[in-house]
Amino acid sequence: MFIRSKAHPFGRPLQTGTVRILLIVLYAFYPLGCILQLVAGGSVALGLAGVALVVAALAAFAVLAGSSLHRQTQEPESLLDEREREERNRASFQAHSVFSGIVLIGVLYMMLTADMAANGKLDLWRPTDGTHWNAIFGGLILLSFTLPGAVLAFGKAPVEAD
Amino acid sequence: MIYNRLSVFRAERGLSRKDIAEAVGVNPQTIGYLERGDYAPSVELALKLSALFEVAVEQLFSLKPFAPLAHSLRDQES
Repeated sequence: MFIRSKAHPFGRPLQTGTVRILLIVLYAFYPLGCILQLVAGGSVALGLAGVALVVAALAAFAVLAGSSLHRQTQEPESLLDEREREERNRASFQAHSVFSGIVLIGVLYMMLTADMAANGKLDLWRPTDGTHWNAIFGGLILLSFTLPGAVLAFGKAPVEAD
Repeated sequence: MIYNRLSVFRAERGLSRKDIAEAVGVNPQTIGYLERGDYAPSVELALKLSALFEVAVEQLFSLKPFAPLAHSLRDQES
């Protein structure tokens, strides 16, 4: 998903440092916001703090989705040059490895916690209702959209302007 | 590693990265990557660039570092 604007048809040119900060905000605030809402219980303040963090994470994603670096990971091949294609392919391969690892660890965790709870050994938290699953799927969707761009942003040195 | 004299030729012609990028059909950032030696071009792009500057491809790209321009000029004079 790339948000193309009329002013920046090839994406908004953001500094690599800015993209890195936005990615850190997205990857830190989204799960933290979800956890705060989970543990808030009756605390309105904690619940609101959680919502605020998730909103901040989504705002960071909205900015990233219109950036030139994100365009490189989402644009059809015919609209990229040879360097962009090569970088995108390498980043997609690395992102796929990381994403697969995260999903596998998550599935393993849920399998083990369900098994342990069924045997009455240890009752660790696991998703039980629609809200939990929505939060997890939302996070995975954001991660899958942004991970190739993150590989690019953290893997290359910025190019100075002409 | 492929070395190039792209920035020298570009400065000599008074062209911007954007001008060169448009002429050879790539993103201006790609010209920056080439100049810094962070990206090795395809044969097609190398040939397009050498055609743009009207020089042989080996005058623009090399597998060995190019001698500094001052050294080349001094060698020519002596």
